[in-house]
Amino acid sequence: MIKNYLKIAFRNLLRNKGFSIINIAGLAVGMASAILILLWIQSEVSYDQFHEKKDCIYEAWNRAEFSGELQCWNTTPKVLARTLERDMPEVEQAVRVDWANSHLFSIGEKRLTVNGSTVDSNFLQVFSFPLLKGNATTVLKDMHSVVLTETLAKKLYGSEDPMGKIIKIDNKENFTVTGILKDLPLNTRFNFEYLLPWSYKRFLGDDDEYWGNNSTRTYVLLKPNASEASVNAKMKVLKPKYEKDEPKWEMFIYPMSKWRLYSSFSNGKEDGGGRIVFVKLFGIIAAFILLIACINFMNLSTARSEKRAKEVGIRKVVGAKKGSLIGQFIGESILISFLAGILAVILVQLSLPPFNSLTDKQLSIDFGSIYFWLSGIGFVIFTGVLAGSYPAFFLSSFKPVKVLKGTFKKANALVTPRKVLVVLQFTFAIILIICTIIVKQQIDYAQNRETGYNKNNLIYHLFTGDIEKNYPLIKNELLSSGVATSVTKTSAPLTQSWSDGWGQEWEGKDPNDKTDFFRYNEDEGLGATAGLTFVQGRDFDLKKFPTDSTGMIINESALKVMKFKDPIGKIVKDNGTEWHIVGVIKDFILTSPYEPTKPMLIAGAKAWFQTMLVKFNSKNSTAQNLNKAEAIFKKYNTEYPFEYKFVDDEYAQKFDNEQRQGTLATLFAGLTIFISCLGLFGLATYMAENRIKEIGVRKVLGASVAGLATLLSKDFLKLVIVSFAIAAPIAWWLMNAWLIDYKYRITIEWWVFAIAGLLSLLIAIITVSFQAIKAAVANPVKSLRTE
Amino acid sequence: MIKITELEKVYRTEEVETVALNKLSIEVKEGEFVAVMGPSGCGKSTLLNILGLLDDPDAGSFVFNGIEVAKFNERKRADLRKHNIGFVFQSFNLIDELTVFENVELPLIYTGMKAPERKKRVEEVLDKVQIMHRRNHYPQQLSGGQQQRVAVARAVVNKPKLILADEPTGNLDSHNGNEVMELLTELNEQGTTIVMVTHSEHDSRYSHRIIRMLDGQSVTENILI
Repeated sequence: MIKNYLKIAFRNLLRNKGFSIINIAGLAVGMASAILILLWIQSEVSYDQFHEKKDCIYEAWNRAEFSGELQCWNTTPKVLARTLERDMPEVEQAVRVDWANSHLFSIGEKRLTVNGSTVDSNFLQVFSFPLLKGNATTVLKDMHSVVLTETLAKKLYGSEDPMGKIIKIDNKENFTVTGILKDLPLNTRFNFEYLLPWSYKRFLGDDDEYWGNNSTRTYVLLKPNASEASVNAKMKVLKPKYEKDEPKWEMFIYPMSKWRLYSSFSNGKEDGGGRIVFVKLFGIIAAFILLIACINFMNLSTARSEKRAKEVGIRKVVGAKKGSLIGQFIGESILISFLAGILAVILVQLSLPPFNSLTDKQLSIDFGSIYFWLSGIGFVIFTGVLAGSYPAFFLSSFKPVKVLKGTFKKANALVTPRKVLVVLQFTFAIILIICTIIVKQQIDYAQNRETGYNKNNLIYHLFTGDIEKNYPLIKNELLSSGVATSVTKTSAPLTQSWSDGWGQEWEGKDPNDKTDFFRYNEDEGLGATAGLTFVQGRDFDLKKFPTDSTGMIINESALKVMKFKDPIGKIVKDNGTEWHIVGVIKDFILTSPYEPTKPMLIAGAKAWFQTMLVKFNSKNSTAQNLNKAEAIFKKYNTEYPFEYKFVDDEYAQKFDNEQRQGTLATLFAGLTIFISCLGLFGLATYMAENRIKEIGVRKVLGASVAGLATLLSKDFLKLVIVSFAIAAPIAWWLMNAWLIDYKYRITIEWWVFAIAGLLSLLIAIITVSFQAIKAAVANPVKSLRTE
Repeated sequence: MIKITELEKVYRTEEVETVALNKLSIEVKEGEFVAVMGPSGCGKSTLLNILGLLDDPDAGSFVFNGIEVAKFNERKRADLRKHNIGFVFQSFNLIDELTVFENVELPLIYTGMKAPERKKRVEEVLDKVQIMHRRNHYPQQLSGGQQQRVAVARAVVNKPKLILADEPTGNLDSHNGNEVMELLTELNEQGTTIVMVTHSEHDSRYSHRIIRMLDGQSVTENILI
């Protein structure tokens, strides 16, 4: 019996090739999208879920008021970890992890700069990063110990055993390799290639007991039976105990299970935001795409019901029961779903590389996993049953007498459930079209915004090794060799804010003013190097004005806050130094192109520096400039590689996130439109078959092909218009909510909706008219003779 | 074999009520070959559907092989049907996606017969209707007469006691039509009871007895033998 069913199913598939291709392709595309999204969701929810003690691991956070609003953030004083272990019996251990930094590793002649973290020695006892070699409790005990990941060990030593080998770090101290870590999984927030003990940081003089220095992350391991709430009650009043100036400054611990997906706070409370919003949104989109694909399948199957009706009749006459027919048709749809599943896996494999680069992940299907096969088969059967149930019940309920006597007639061309379906599909498609256009507009808007400086031919290099010491020599040679037209030392890259703060003093300041200023430093010539515009005063020039080392340049926003009538020469006190203002510049974008520019203070040569900014000479080619610059850097910074970055590339990265969202919206819109069109095509086929006699009669009576095609398409276009009416307000609401996060944003224009509406109408017309015209040009003699 | 008494069937739509069978009583004995004739709309097809257990009567009695079946539900009717009754339609009604062999095999699959036995039985029947050489062809590749012979083969493959034929020659030319009628006569001579609805006086002469119907009633019966 099964063999007979399979035979019929396969022959049906082969006989109706067009139908089968549409059906399988539609279902496969739906399934592939759902699989991709599910893989993405799975990777998101699995973040840091592999730690054995995950339920007891927390991160310490601050909650404090700034400009009338409670802010939450997760950098903490270095002294916090030991304080927690001492003061709170619930805390089993506390671990400090500093920002991952790059250090220079030297083994003989081999040199590499590598990114790694400095951590408390109990790090590996709290977090489950398995050691291939070495003992988790002792690997970081000694100040001169280093733990490498497997990959880094291979890079450094090849096939040799690295244990006990000596590495010179930053050309200063010798470290012994005490452990080898298995490479980190991708789904963790940590990202390091090696671990150094905190005691080395202390040795460098980079440890302090100061409660005002929020500069490190503190992780807390609670005892298994400890309550989060009771710890939080104590955390709330912890800071004021040690820092009398901050009576309202609260701290709290935040559980590991929420790190990745939540961690979003407004005015001191969790606001339900964070990546969970995307996880939910994507989940909904996946379910929708799959559902739409399934309902398409139902439509296409029922649309062909007339052709299968005779088979059903005969089977019933020769003794088939309804149950066995239902079984047959559901089996058939599971077969189709199975074929679609295979195709979907192929599609997923093909689209994973671009999807991974789009989502910045490394997703893959684990073919060796039993869960993959189980869930894959479950997924296929679920889809098959979901898609096949309606056609199965519909087809198996045919009365053989009617079918076989030719008196079998179907209901009206467009039945209500199908109308609802088309409306649903097109609503979804139109919403996505509108979202796509608006996201792109917003990106364009921010990209076209005036940055306030000239990004062209501008590179920066962070201070490594001897750069700071040899800066004057490097600068001199860059200028004299004609590589650069201007060179400036700065505190940070031009695209990042490394410091900000409040509490500066100036003449006439409102004592309640707690304005937060960006802090930036330059020695001299930033105006020329970056092409800034001065509205008052001048740039620093240490040769002409040696006192410029304590000079200050402010931007127009800062001037507005400080309310100086004549700013030049005024004194601003910050970090214990009195700076005198020498110039005022037009605002430029330091951080986000979506935010209004902030007040900014640029301090002179007396301040600290981390970066050098080089304006290349545009007379030479970039390659020539880079070659020469590399030689000069190598000459004065022999131990370290030349690791420059282009400022315009860095600036472009600020749009990555939105570009990604834009591409995803386009992708989803495209898929939905594709699948919706398949559905519409199926319905149009159904309709054309149903109204074949009506069309014949109309034609015999003198209707024109154009008139008939219009008649047949009209009903569908009405549905698209209804969809538009539903979609437009939803899309407007969604996009408003999305845009609200961007202070510098576009306003939503009516023509976006008009374009989306027209586009969807056009797509619908093209899809439907094919069948409508085919039905309209058919010879009426044929269609009427079938009666 | 068949005894129906005062059988009634009424078709209702919202506005009209059509009486298809009006207290019809007839009897068919085992081994008989009966032709049912009458103008369009006289209730012939309804009668055949009820006899074939495809439709149920509104009132009256239908005794099949000594069992009262008028009140049987769909499942019981299907069971009785697949073991006892074969159908031959005017428009053949073969499944296009199945070959000749597979079409004839279909009823045996639903009775749960094993594959080797099925093969033997199907080949026997195909031989009998002289279509063995076309066993692997699809219905569209056959002439109308050949298709109807396949349909007859499918109707008898289960060795039913009764064959119901609904204008079996209606779509055939006279030559092919005669072939099919001779096949039916042969089956009848081997003991199968046949009830055939027809418009053709020529075909009706193959039968033993003609029942003429009008407005849902039997008006005359001509006995030919």
